[in-house]
Amino acid sequence: MTEPSPRSLYPWFTALGLLVGALVIVAYYKDQFREWKEWQHAYIQQELARATTPSQKAAAGRIPVEIRQTLLPGLDRVDRCETCHLVVDDASYAGFQQPLAYHVNHDQHPFEKFGCTICHQGQGRATTREAAHGQVAHWDHPMLPMKYIESACAKCHLPSDVPGAPQLARGHALFNELGCIGCHKLHGVGGAIGPELDTVGDTRSPEWLAKHFKAPSAVTAGSAMPPVAVSDDDLEALTLYMLSLTGEPMSDYYVSMKTLPGLEAGRRLFAEKGCIGCHSIGGKGGTVGPPLDEVGKRHDAEWIIAHFRNPQAVTPGSVMPRFSFTEQEIRSLTDFLLTNTTSSMIGSLKIPALMTPVERGREVFVKYGCTGCHGQDANTGIRNPNAKTAQQVPGLKFVAEGYTKDELRKRILGGQKEIPRLDPKGPQPPLYMPAWRSRIAEGELNDLVEYLMGLVPKSEQEKEAF
Amino acid sequence: MPKRLWNLFCRSRIGRSIFRVGLPASSLDRMRAAVSSFVLHIHPAKVHARTLKFSTTFGLGLISLYLFIILSVTGALLMFYYVPATDQAYQSMKDLEFVVSAGQVVRNIHSWAAHLMVLFVGLHMCRVFYTAAYKPPREFNWVVGLALFLLTLGLSFTGYLLPWDQLAYWAITVGTSIAGYAPLIGEKMKFILLGGHTVGQAALIRFYVLHVVALPAAMALLIAIHLWRVRTDGGLARPEEPEPTPEQMPAAALPQTKTYGLMELARGTTPSVGAPPDDLVFTWPHLLFREILLFLFVFALVLVPAILWNAPLEEIANAVYPPNPAKAPWYFLGLQELVSHSAFWGGVVVPGLIVTALAVLPYLDRKPKGVGVWFSGERKVAIAIFSVCLATMLTLTAIGCWFRGPNWALQAPWKPHVVAEERRP
Repeated sequence: MTEPSPRSLYPWFTALGLLVGALVIVAYYKDQFREWKEWQHAYIQQELARATTPSQKAAAGRIPVEIRQTLLPGLDRVDRCETCHLVVDDASYAGFQQPLAYHVNHDQHPFEKFGCTICHQGQGRATTREAAHGQVAHWDHPMLPMKYIESACAKCHLPSDVPGAPQLARGHALFNELGCIGCHKLHGVGGAIGPELDTVGDTRSPEWLAKHFKAPSAVTAGSAMPPVAVSDDDLEALTLYMLSLTGEPMSDYYVSMKTLPGLEAGRRLFAEKGCIGCHSIGGKGGTVGPPLDEVGKRHDAEWIIAHFRNPQAVTPGSVMPRFSFTEQEIRSLTDFLLTNTTSSMIGSLKIPALMTPVERGREVFVKYGCTGCHGQDANTGIRNPNAKTAQQVPGLKFVAEGYTKDELRKRILGGQKEIPRLDPKGPQPPLYMPAWRSRIAEGELNDLVEYLMGLVPKSEQEKEAF
Repeated sequence: MPKRLWNLFCRSRIGRSIFRVGLPASSLDRMRAAVSSFVLHIHPAKVHARTLKFSTTFGLGLISLYLFIILSVTGALLMFYYVPATDQAYQSMKDLEFVVSAGQVVRNIHSWAAHLMVLFVGLHMCRVFYTAAYKPPREFNWVVGLALFLLTLGLSFTGYLLPWDQLAYWAITVGTSIAGYAPLIGEKMKFILLGGHTVGQAALIRFYVLHVVALPAAMALLIAIHLWRVRTDGGLARPEEPEPTPEQMPAAALPQTKTYGLMELARGTTPSVGAPPDDLVFTWPHLLFREILLFLFVFALVLVPAILWNAPLEEIANAVYPPNPAKAPWYFLGLQELVSHSAFWGGVVVPGLIVTALAVLPYLDRKPKGVGVWFSGERKVAIAIFSVCLATMLTLTAIGCWFRGPNWALQAPWKPHVVAEERRP
């Protein structure tokens, strides 16, 4: 047998060699061509065009084409947005088109500490437009539309207190006023009729939320939730507040800003720290320290701040303890003392120690969202199909005529799972009274009962009105 | 010119110390090259001409080996970036995609090569069966091959979890729960594999160590044994050759000018009388060139899909949102399909039977019939049984892949297979 010649294989070597070579070149170019490089070249061109002196031109020529990223170990994030958005901190680019545009108003939130996605969402690690903006499959956090951007503030701040976020504050206020918490649990507080809302902003889109508020049962079949009858602007605000409830954990480094210095924070501190134990406003409170009525007229901010830091250094012999307030808390308290301590304001201060049990009970009624079902003033309840009580959640005006205080306490603590039916063969009414045992504090319950027992109209004329 | 430079180098003091033989110019050199070089010594100096014919093996075993080499190299590259921690694994996938030079293409090659390796090792097994190459003396090498097949599945399965995305998380959750159905030891096995009852950090690090150290080491060792045995068992299995007729004897072809009749051993005109026709060819260049060509082919085969399609990466693993249905990797879908009917049969009996039957096959089926012949007519029964089992498994896998939708309900393949729970409706 003659040896076959390997020469017959040479065309195969040529063909396969060329094929592999071509494939490697294609793979290389695919890897080297990156969208962000275009933008960086555009930026360099822009800088070159702007340069007037030779040294500026030379500097522009030296701008490297490279990935630019902010490492945020505290957030477990890497934001590479600045790879395309190259001039977010260059004010000379104000008013330019994206991605080469200046980011106004970022002094409070320096990029190197906060990055971008903490507020805007999207995919920080990505370096293509679509992937970075989160408009791709398999990414759950697309960029937050700018009209909802305020919702991001609540990741670190109290929703009621962020300056420049009026919609967020409005949404938060609406949430409390409407009594949503009566059915929905948030941060561990609230009823169990509806789903918990701790991560609703992460699991629902803005469109879904808006649609759902208008007609809950049209979106979620069989939902017992009544439509939220508020203006369109308020609906947007409420949607925005829902989007802020992401449940995203933030490290201490960021939530140290939870309480921004502000009046609401000051009021809260004033109430929680028990200042009223020693001081009085409008004649109510303790007598150990001086009354605080109109304290702003007697002292200026500097004095009050110094006094908080070290009472004895300012007023020798003072028995006021040195509280371990942070500087931020001192500023909040000072703001509050300077503006809010006129006796006429006592009612609006909502400091439990200064309120009557009925007033406090009203607060409890709102706090636990009873208003959501029983009505803003506990006078008319919302629809509850097939409930014996006129297919409604009962109003509570006349509760004092049907219940003793003890019976009322029992009803609130134990709830009523089985609501009597109008048509015994009909479906079970969707809404029921949740049991508040172990969720409501004893003092709060006492106040609530006082409030409810006092609701019954005093005059015959008022009764007639019902 | 390059050839001359190379020869010059090989003749130098340094060249000679590295390459004992330069580019071979004579048959003797070629033999010495194959015998003395570490890289080439896995070959004999000469191989049977049949070995060169593509349809003898279709190169399936060598393709599997090449894929393993490609996987080892790309895998080592990926290890420079991958961090086996639940809070960093997924992020390292994103970095590979977006900022690492050639990161995505290397990951794509690794992913496609892994799928292809399962496929080609399976095809290689089928080739060995259908050509009866497992018969004595190669029985044990078939068992080694079976172990290599199981290792391939193990490597692919452990690698599946590493991206730590939804696809990985739920495929491994389903895959390991199949293991849990084995009686007595099932739950224990699953616990040891996962380092807990659910897929978490402990499972990730276990899968990682198995994937990059334990299984590849076992694989490399078994491949060495497998190849060594191929050589010592006489190369590729080939049919018994008929006794050569006198006309075929090389002596017959020579001019009758001299006789060696005095020896009275055999008739003929050369000293090599009585030798069978020489069907051997030199390994270098014939086999070697073909092997290099096959590597180029395999490299192209993984590069094309790696350029066209990215390896899948879904959302980060989330134990709260199972996809519906959660599917195991494709090569286990036949088993998952069986499990959906009966956990015991699909999870224990069938896989146990398959592995046992394959392991004892060469010891039961020993008659040297049809060796080295595709679909030999002498082995109709064996071929029929194997083919029916293979077809059944493939059908079940196809059903699991393409015909099962949400809640594992039968559906047409063009409907969406997996409905992820709507996470931001």
